[in-house]
Amino acid sequence: MISLGLIPLFPLLGCIILGAIAIISSGSKKGPAEGFVGTLAVLFPALSFAGVALLAFNMPDAGIRETVCNWIDIPMFRVDIGFLFDGLSRIMLLFVTGIGTLITLYSIGYMHGDRGFARYFAYINLFLFSMIVLVLSDNLLLTFLGWEGVGLCSYLLIGFWNKDLKNCQAANKAFIVNRVGDIGFLLGMLCLVTIGGSALLNYDALVNFIQMIINGNHLEVVVPVLSVAGVLFFIGCTGKSAQIPLLTWLPDAMAGPTPVSALIHAATMVTSGVYLLARLGSMFAILPVVLDIIVVIGMLTAFWAAVAGLFQNDIKKVLAYSTISQLGYMFMASGVCAFDASIFHVFTHAFFKAALFLGAGAVIHALAGEQDMRKMGGLLRKTPVTACVMIFAFLAIVGFPGFAGFWSKDLILERLFMNCTMYIPGFTIFGTEVPSIPLNGVVYAVGLATAVITAVYMGRLIILTFFGSYRGSKESEEHIHEAPAVMLIPMVILAFGAVFAGYLWADSIGIKFFAETLAPVVGAAQAYNVPAVTAHLNPMIFAGLGTIAALLGMYIAYKIYANARIPAAKGSSAPEGGKATWTFLFDSLHKYVGIIPVNVLAWICDVVVDKILGAAQWTIGAIATILGDGAATFQVRKVRLQIALSILGLIALVAIVLLTGGTF
Amino acid sequence: MLLHLLVLAPFVAAILMVMTSKDDPKSSSRLAILMGIIFAAMSVALIAGGNVATDAIEWFHIPGCKGPVYYYLYSHGLAAWMVFLSCGLSLVALISARGITTRSYRNFAIGIFSLMGAMNGTFLAADAVLFFFFFEAMVIPAAILIAGFGGKDRMKAAMTFAIYTLVGSAPMMVALWYLLTIADNSMLISLAIALQSLPEGTQTTLFVCFLLAFLVKTPIFPFHGWQAITYAEAPAPLSAILTGAMSKAGVFGFIVWVLPIFPLSMSAISCMMWLGLFTAVYGALMALRATDGKKLLAFSSMGHLGLAVAAVFSGSEAMFPAVLVLLVAHGISAGALFILMGIAERMTGTRELDQLGGLSSKNPVFSTLFGFAGVMALAVPGTAGFVGEFSVLLSLWDMGPLPALVAGFTLILSAAYMLRFIQKVIFGKQAREYEEGRRTSPLEGVSIGVMLALLLVFGFHPAFVTDSLNQGEEIEDAAAAQVLSEAAINQGNAPMTEDEIHQLDSTLAAAGFRDDERASIIAQMKAENSTGADEVNENTVKGASDDE
Amino acid sequence: MELQAIYVQILALVIFAIGLIVAVSRRNVFFVLMGVELALNAVNLSFVGFSKTLPADASIVGQVVPLFSIAVAAAEACVGLAMVILIFRNRESVDADTYSNMKG
Repeated sequence: MISLGLIPLFPLLGCIILGAIAIISSGSKKGPAEGFVGTLAVLFPALSFAGVALLAFNMPDAGIRETVCNWIDIPMFRVDIGFLFDGLSRIMLLFVTGIGTLITLYSIGYMHGDRGFARYFAYINLFLFSMIVLVLSDNLLLTFLGWEGVGLCSYLLIGFWNKDLKNCQAANKAFIVNRVGDIGFLLGMLCLVTIGGSALLNYDALVNFIQMIINGNHLEVVVPVLSVAGVLFFIGCTGKSAQIPLLTWLPDAMAGPTPVSALIHAATMVTSGVYLLARLGSMFAILPVVLDIIVVIGMLTAFWAAVAGLFQNDIKKVLAYSTISQLGYMFMASGVCAFDASIFHVFTHAFFKAALFLGAGAVIHALAGEQDMRKMGGLLRKTPVTACVMIFAFLAIVGFPGFAGFWSKDLILERLFMNCTMYIPGFTIFGTEVPSIPLNGVVYAVGLATAVITAVYMGRLIILTFFGSYRGSKESEEHIHEAPAVMLIPMVILAFGAVFAGYLWADSIGIKFFAETLAPVVGAAQAYNVPAVTAHLNPMIFAGLGTIAALLGMYIAYKIYANARIPAAKGSSAPEGGKATWTFLFDSLHKYVGIIPVNVLAWICDVVVDKILGAAQWTIGAIATILGDGAATFQVRKVRLQIALSILGLIALVAIVLLTGGTF
Repeated sequence: MLLHLLVLAPFVAAILMVMTSKDDPKSSSRLAILMGIIFAAMSVALIAGGNVATDAIEWFHIPGCKGPVYYYLYSHGLAAWMVFLSCGLSLVALISARGITTRSYRNFAIGIFSLMGAMNGTFLAADAVLFFFFFEAMVIPAAILIAGFGGKDRMKAAMTFAIYTLVGSAPMMVALWYLLTIADNSMLISLAIALQSLPEGTQTTLFVCFLLAFLVKTPIFPFHGWQAITYAEAPAPLSAILTGAMSKAGVFGFIVWVLPIFPLSMSAISCMMWLGLFTAVYGALMALRATDGKKLLAFSSMGHLGLAVAAVFSGSEAMFPAVLVLLVAHGISAGALFILMGIAERMTGTRELDQLGGLSSKNPVFSTLFGFAGVMALAVPGTAGFVGEFSVLLSLWDMGPLPALVAGFTLILSAAYMLRFIQKVIFGKQAREYEEGRRTSPLEGVSIGVMLALLLVFGFHPAFVTDSLNQGEEIEDAAAAQVLSEAAINQGNAPMTEDEIHQLDSTLAAAGFRDDERASIIAQMKAENSTGADEVNENTVKGASDDE
Repeated sequence: MELQAIYVQILALVIFAIGLIVAVSRRNVFFVLMGVELALNAVNLSFVGFSKTLPADASIVGQVVPLFSIAVAAAEACVGLAMVILIFRNRESVDADTYSNMKG
């Protein structure tokens, strides 16, 4: 049995070695040998994956716990560095390290010839280290280490090509917006500490504490404070998982290399918010208000981002908004306490979205950096493997029956309808009683509508990219080539995942493996909020509705885009007019709520307050100078006169002393 | 012995430096760095050695005061770490100054050594007058160094710095003198006892006088006028020392002198805390708008120290380790950033942010260090800054969620200005053509690397830092136990109280002694009592001086 | 005729007054210096004169003090002359009224 501490240690080691290589070789013109660096870069995540796999098969049901050492030990606060390997972290770790290894392999091909080759892989390894720590830790503070660590790596990798200041600005934006969420996380932890001491930061202790509260019927005492903590944690999650209102950074984050978008901004990092909700499931389960907030935010995000995805011309931006939208689904599921369903969607989403991103990367690679879909088209014949991978992943994301997304999305929609307990409380208007209106139908309908839109914009992406005829310039057409094998292999493996990952929990055909592995972790939390009365509905109805939504969306996309004349691309790929208003809704919100007030405050500090202080300082200085000048006038020019004056003064002094009889 | 060495030997080193050649910076820098290493090693030994104190040597009498002023040094966890900062940063400054000062390196080293001695004295002094002496003495070498080696505006900067800090501590001198006239001696405890006997109005006045000195030194909001220009105009290695070690004297003064002496009312505490928080926000906002790299760092330091002061006055149990870790982390990271900024200025010839840029492709090693240091200053978990800021937030949360929220807001702002800073300096394209100056020397690179590694080590194992406080408590406990046991021994010949004598009388009566016999025995006892009492008094006085 | 102590004091006062007047009224800096010396010596004379009024064994103490003051005066004259010469070199002038650059 290997120690849990080894799993994060491998990528950390990789990061240190690669970082050292990057620094040492920075002076040379050519850079280090790519084969050597690439091998090292893949080796460490692969070792980690092997370790996780080994552990996963031998894991006892209760999980493995391991405390490495003490971390912070001060009065009032004591936290250990400890790891917890249970059903939830097993699933997360398996796909984090697995997909991480695949994408690292892909990156070797994608980053070929880049000057920062070794640096890139050092960052990727550092990212994997942080992500593993995030998932594997047994307390919130250590999770926070991973949480900020992945944010930092995301910053480093978005701004990887730092010669272009636009990339740097996107990176800064990502970090700062994430920081806002992180502060929520921090304050949430502090809130927990005030409730029950620093021991509560440990997940096991937290679960026990919640259980104790439930058993002792102290809910009404703790829930108000705990709700504050819950909202704060949720703010942290909205930052990391790009939910309303902290979602603006994710589309901008596409400035980074495409494998980074696949790994960090689609498959792993952005789902850590969902992971945290599931991890703290037992806490959120007793906080109905927070759960309702989560459902509403998730619903709005899913819908808004899906519509925004329709308006994008940049292939990566479409995928970014699609990611936000899918994350919205996951949050909706978490909001109705269906944590296993949300994690299942995280799992399947990781496969198909990573495949889509890698496919997009291969397309961009083939077109020598072109990202505007209006300049693509007809690539099916030129890059068949990439196209197949993308199409399989597309079928998965729209929820085509049998593909991975079908199972997970279907499950979420079903749970939304069955579990959602939100309602508008009854009220009296014009003397007539209006009964309380349950909102589960509304939530379900929005989810379904979003599924339709998802199919439309994804269909648009596939049609614009792979079908029709090529719309780019003639000379660029000749250079189009299929990606090298090192890039294709990971894509194909992920495509397999996109097709078959769903069969781990195919509810309709009776496979419940996934639910069972997660049951020890999130089971209790889910059991707490089981709806009291719901009409029993046949799950096949939901499956059928979901399929119809997918087919409808695909049909619409076919109708609109298959034969449409695509307007020639001019200038930037950013949407314009009303589309831009919708897309940049939250950017402008941030601008008016966050950036401008801070700038105004800074301006006041700098130009008003500081100048006033400067003036006060100058005034005091001036007064001192004036007084000094005044005193200086007593000093006359002639030395002899001074002597005479001082003698006179002496005489006067003696006279005074004598005349007053020495009283002075 | 170590304490004496740390305080006095830097002055000896400064004198030694006088003897080296003025025109040969190579040989003088070798000697200076060698001595710097020795001092740094001694400061590490001081931390490892736990709490130590020297004998109290009588220094002089201030006319009008009851007791003498002692030359008396005492090292506890906080002081030892501050001494470490002062020695360590001085060493790095001496290393880095080789590339920066084109003028006489020797004179620079003399100044740095005397500054270091004064700082060590400030942190180690256990006598209020001694503390004040060193507190003032710090200003002189610093001002001279600024005036001698600074940038374009150096004379103005030196004057502003000297006048601000000297004027700021003048009220403290008066207050201290006033306290000394009524206290037994100038030790902390006697000052605190003396203060108790004063009316409340006087106490408040004295409190404000003491505060003012430390508020200016830290600096806290309305008194920060000297800081930006001083840090900007001072040579970068000196700025590193000023912000990394000297400005800590303000926070140190709050913790070691203000808190124990003055019984603080709740309103004073919360007032100070909000002032600290306001400074933190103000510094961060000013840093957002700064166009000069060193000024940006200066305001960033102001923000961090504001946070530290707010934590000092949070009254939380976790305050001590929180502030200590925050100070150590800030000292190292701000010091490293200032020195790196100095290198950038040396290479490009400017410190205007808009004129910099593109260093990451030109000089990868430098930019790696720079980016690394910048990220460390962001308090990313795993660095010492995070442990410090998190525990500070924890302390502030004790006062209520709002202070913690404000502190959280400053963390967001700090991310904003620091990322802007990193982007402006090392990313993007070169803003203008220039002749490149001297690059990072290997020794510089290594020393900054060590500083950054220390931050990581303290981030993952803050016990290195926080344990020095616990150790202090244990030793204090041991000392207390010793005092208690001594008291128990003294009990043997302690004066008997009237009750005891009465009891003795009755037992004697019961034993059948006659009245006159009893009277004589009791008279004997009483006589012994009075002499015994004298002896005891002498003993306690001795004991007290031994403890000191 | 026994020398009356008061005459000595009168003489000392006269010399002191002359010294003072010289110091204040002459413009030549050397004369100023000499005037100061004269005043100083007048004080010495006054000391000696007063010491004569004491009994013989105590009188010696009063005579020692002028010795000290003569020594100090010699040192002062050294420094003073040196300074005056330096000033003279700088300013090319012995006129004390032109030495006004100490005025703020």
